[in-house]
Amino acid sequence: MRARSLMHLAGLELRSGWKGAALNAAAACIGAAALVFFVALGLGVGQAARRMFPGEARLVEVVPSAISLGSVLGGGRLDEEAVARLGAIPGVAGAYRKLTLRVPIAANRPPQGVEMKWPESITIQIPAVGVDPGLVAADLGRGSWFEDRGEGQPIPAVASRRILEIYNKTIAPAWNLRRLPAGLELVGLQFPVRVGYSIVPQKTEDRVVEGRVLLAGLSDRVPLYMVAVPLEAVRRLHREYGKPDQGYTSVALLAGRPDDVPRISAEVRRMGFAVEEGERAVSERVGMVVSVTTGALAFLSLVMSALAALAIAQSLSASVRGRVKEIAILQAVGATAGDVRALILAEAGILGLAGGLAGVALARLGALAADSAAARMLPDFPFRPETYFAFPAWLHATAVGVALISAVAGAIAPAAAAARVDPARTIA
Amino acid sequence: MISLRGVVKKFRDLDRDQVVLDGVDLQAAAGELVAVVGASGSGKSTLLYIVGGLDADFEGEAVVAGRSLPALGPRERAAFRNAEVGFVFQSFNLLPALTALENAMLPGLFARGAGARPTLGALRADARSALERVGLSGKEQRLPARLSGGERQRVAIARALLSRPKVLLADEPTGNLDTVSGAGVIDLFVEMARSGMTVLVVTHEERVSTVANRVLHLDGGRLR
Repeated sequence: MRARSLMHLAGLELRSGWKGAALNAAAACIGAAALVFFVALGLGVGQAARRMFPGEARLVEVVPSAISLGSVLGGGRLDEEAVARLGAIPGVAGAYRKLTLRVPIAANRPPQGVEMKWPESITIQIPAVGVDPGLVAADLGRGSWFEDRGEGQPIPAVASRRILEIYNKTIAPAWNLRRLPAGLELVGLQFPVRVGYSIVPQKTEDRVVEGRVLLAGLSDRVPLYMVAVPLEAVRRLHREYGKPDQGYTSVALLAGRPDDVPRISAEVRRMGFAVEEGERAVSERVGMVVSVTTGALAFLSLVMSALAALAIAQSLSASVRGRVKEIAILQAVGATAGDVRALILAEAGILGLAGGLAGVALARLGALAADSAAARMLPDFPFRPETYFAFPAWLHATAVGVALISAVAGAIAPAAAAARVDPARTIA
Repeated sequence: MISLRGVVKKFRDLDRDQVVLDGVDLQAAAGELVAVVGASGSGKSTLLYIVGGLDADFEGEAVVAGRSLPALGPRERAAFRNAEVGFVFQSFNLLPALTALENAMLPGLFARGAGARPTLGALRADARSALERVGLSGKEQRLPARLSGGERQRVAIARALLSRPKVLLADEPTGNLDTVSGAGVIDLFVEMARSGMTVLVVTHEERVSTVANRVLHLDGGRLR
């Protein structure tokens, strides 16, 4: 029997028993819809979590150990020699020094070129960390530079990508300030700052000078509430303000591959240093929770698909029992046992395909409804996603495939029973 | 066209064999209309199913349309039923949810090789011609439930004719029809036999016997 004839006849048979067919398709539809909805939800929430906690899988943040025996067993200060040893660990592609600026910097005016009502008496303290330029080189805006050009020159800074979102969603509405555009449009802005000034009593330095901070880029490698400035700028300010050398605050090791991270972390600890888990650990934990939840829901959806297959099997078995005479007639006009088997499987396949496609559509409608409800009911918090769902093409294909396979699997036993019908006895 | 020699058919009834056909011999040539009559339960339908390749569980020789039936495997037997014979049953055996045209198309959907139409459109056109030949033009889209008994049997005949078979097998074809409709069906069989087809009709109907070339009696498992 040709495929075209098979599909034509399967279509005719489904039309004749459309109520049962609709029920079977609905069973396949529900399984597929649940699979798409829950996996899309997991993927979407995962994406939102990664925006909120963009921990880089290849970065290992090394800090001095809280308890150190100094140079007796290694560890202790993060000096140049320690940085060299850390950089030599197999699998490390780069070692980037970090030094927290111990001279306070504060802003009490809006950035130059941006018209906004800056409330009087509002001063924002800007925590800064000096970093090796290589750490943020890939995140600089076009034409930006990241080096210390000396006293009187603006200090280039790279901010966390996320600080803008937090500013726009919390600070700006609370202080009735202008919201700032997203992304690299802000790069190039200069912020007037007072170097040496602190909003904390007794922490202002003896010498306070006017300066400028130039926004050179936005990066996920910068801590949320800090800006990264060139390491040399921090060293210079420490010299100018008489801050003693205490070694580096931390060293960021970039692993060649994410798989190398556990081994590198172990080696770092063996050398007597500690590994600051920080946001990467939070990101990993969030990712783990989302993955496990998504996996559980996907498993539940597959169970639903399996139940759909059982329902289809039961329904088709009943259908075959009710159609034995029709099957015998088909055999009388030339159908082989294989034709009959293929016909039942084709009917199930059409139902599975239709159910799968309907399930995808249903899941997308459900996602639209859920997003719409969330938009109405949830406040506008930082990193609030536009959608809580992600629908990659493979998910659609998988859901339709699962519906198709479960329907066809459910039809195997009824198809075999149909193929065993004896036409002579049945027609007689 | 039909050649049976010593055909024996037994049914297993509990623990003993019941012989229904006990050495049946039958010869029917092309263009011949043969009527087989006999009492209920005498094995008339069984004989028809053996000739038509529906029942392969028998002993003896059976050659129909040049094919030795015992030598055919299941797939070849299905192809034989599809291309070489057409069945007409007392209860029409139409698929109730399909239109007259779709019922008439059925054998074409299972056709293989040279008998297969190149497109569904070509198959549909042939089914339409078959319906036209049995006088059902304009009723192609009707469901069986909306046709009279005679019209349903004509749809069944159109279905049987679609593959242009060499042999037409009819099992009590007028049993459920009124006199006028039955006469129309019998006329169709006569016309088909005249066109060269071998028509084997199992019947109680006196009228069939009057138009048949030969009337055979099945009694005690043998044809006389």
